[in-house]
Amino acid sequence: MKRSRLIAALLLLPWIVTFLAFWLFPLLFSLIAGFTDYSLISRTGAEWIGLDNYRQLFSDNDFLESIKNTFIFVFGTVPVTTVLALLMALFVNKRFPGRGLFRSGFFLPSITSMVVIALIFTNLYQRGGYIATLAAMAGFTPPEYGFLYSSSTALYSIMAMDIWMSVGYYMLIFLAGLESIPSELYEVARIQGASSTRQFFSITLPLLRPVALFIIVINSIKSFQIFVEIFVMTKGKFDTASMVYFIYDTGVTTAFRFGYASAAAFVLFFIVATFSAFQFFLFRRRKPLW
Amino acid sequence: MVTNKLRVILRYIVLFCLLIIMTFPLLWMFRVALMHSGAPVGFCDIFTGVITFANFVDLFRNANIGRYLFNSILVVVIVTAANAVFCFMVAYVLARYRMLAGKLLFISVIVVLMIPAHILIVPLYVLTIKVGIYDTYWALLLPWLVNPIGIFLVKQYLESIPPDMEEAARIDGAGELVILFRIVMPLCKPALAVLAIQVFFTNWNLFLFPFILTSSESLRTLPVALAHYQGQQAIDWQHLMAGSAVAIIPVLIAFIFLQKQIVSGITAGAIKQ
Repeated sequence: MKRSRLIAALLLLPWIVTFLAFWLFPLLFSLIAGFTDYSLISRTGAEWIGLDNYRQLFSDNDFLESIKNTFIFVFGTVPVTTVLALLMALFVNKRFPGRGLFRSGFFLPSITSMVVIALIFTNLYQRGGYIATLAAMAGFTPPEYGFLYSSSTALYSIMAMDIWMSVGYYMLIFLAGLESIPSELYEVARIQGASSTRQFFSITLPLLRPVALFIIVINSIKSFQIFVEIFVMTKGKFDTASMVYFIYDTGVTTAFRFGYASAAAFVLFFIVATFSAFQFFLFRRRKPLW
Repeated sequence: MVTNKLRVILRYIVLFCLLIIMTFPLLWMFRVALMHSGAPVGFCDIFTGVITFANFVDLFRNANIGRYLFNSILVVVIVTAANAVFCFMVAYVLARYRMLAGKLLFISVIVVLMIPAHILIVPLYVLTIKVGIYDTYWALLLPWLVNPIGIFLVKQYLESIPPDMEEAARIDGAGELVILFRIVMPLCKPALAVLAIQVFFTNWNLFLFPFILTSSESLRTLPVALAHYQGQQAIDWQHLMAGSAVAIIPVLIAFIFLQKQIVSGITAGAIKQ
């Protein structure tokens, strides 16, 4: 028995080390650093300043702006992506010739590197690029230097790209959910004379509820951390800086204000945690939301 | 009858339009990658002109992309292999041993699942500098060698396998490690394949942490290198897209050959929970 315990401990070692070194320690480190003025420049060492960082953050316009942008991004993309993914899943659910091709084609963008996608769209969105030209043809005049060089369109352009990129992934998850609905239910409904619209609202939609909520949760948690596309496409200019971009910018680029950036990170952590908790509460609800 | 046929045709028209929207940007990338360097990339230009591989040759000769490709492959191979072994080891203990520490560990797995990784930018940056692994391969590898989602996945699979084989082997006097790696691990192949696919895609496309935790040119992975190319004035769209193609082609090849496994692998974590 003693020997097997030793072996168990040995087997767990990689995870224990990784957990302590790369998760728990950084988390506690940034929690504490958030209450200090720790930075690259402060040679004298960090000094405890209590809640000063947090106070300063909420009067820092750049930070407030980044919260606003992040919320626009999350609440603008997540519902649209979810609905589009569901519609696409319904469209390629039943068997028909070429189904596999369409499914793969729709899914393809989501396994591509975000940096690559962002580079491609940087060109498509610029003046004379594909999307800008198509928009002009449709009667919508793009901003003078292209969609990414105007505060009124830059963030929305990035959001549209993000929806385009991730919709296929969530479509696949919806498809897996659709497959798990027993076909007997539809048979019974058909025998009883329910129309296909009725079947959709009485069988498909209620049974997809857990899948839909799951998709909303993971997509929101991911979207709150948006960074790469902003870094590549606008460098945070034109009202696009997200919270992670703010953390990156103040923490490890220009100012190296470790304490201040850590405090900002914890605000993000708090927002994401509140959000997940709220959604877990929705998960547990007995009564359906719709 | 006529309306039915019309519906089918309409369905295909919508599907094809969607397919064009979803794949056009990638097709555009490949087309531009094969253009003459410096040629205009306007609306109609992609339909005309020649096809040349000069940009790719150029990137490998003059822009060091071979090195970045090597870095990407090296990192992804090591990280994927390590995850398969380590996640399996942890999952085995969590699934088979009943002990208090196991419960605590399981809680640690859940905790990590709830932490948004991007809030750790600053502490990981400071940590790697203090420990002395900043700007080394270790910084690209060490944080990602075992992951909580993988542990979860293998643990769930292990719990669906009865421990009969292991116990029979134990009675026959086989050592614990032999049982673990010779008997149980092969049984977990389906779960490990799913795990490997997830880890491969995540790490191949990883940008933020490799970007922050290294600074040397020789340590860049493909996504990091591409972001740096973009910042240079000298580079044109043809080269940039050729570089992007280099980053995508391995993923595309994997996708074409392992389509079924990839689709089930990527959705696996989702339906189980």
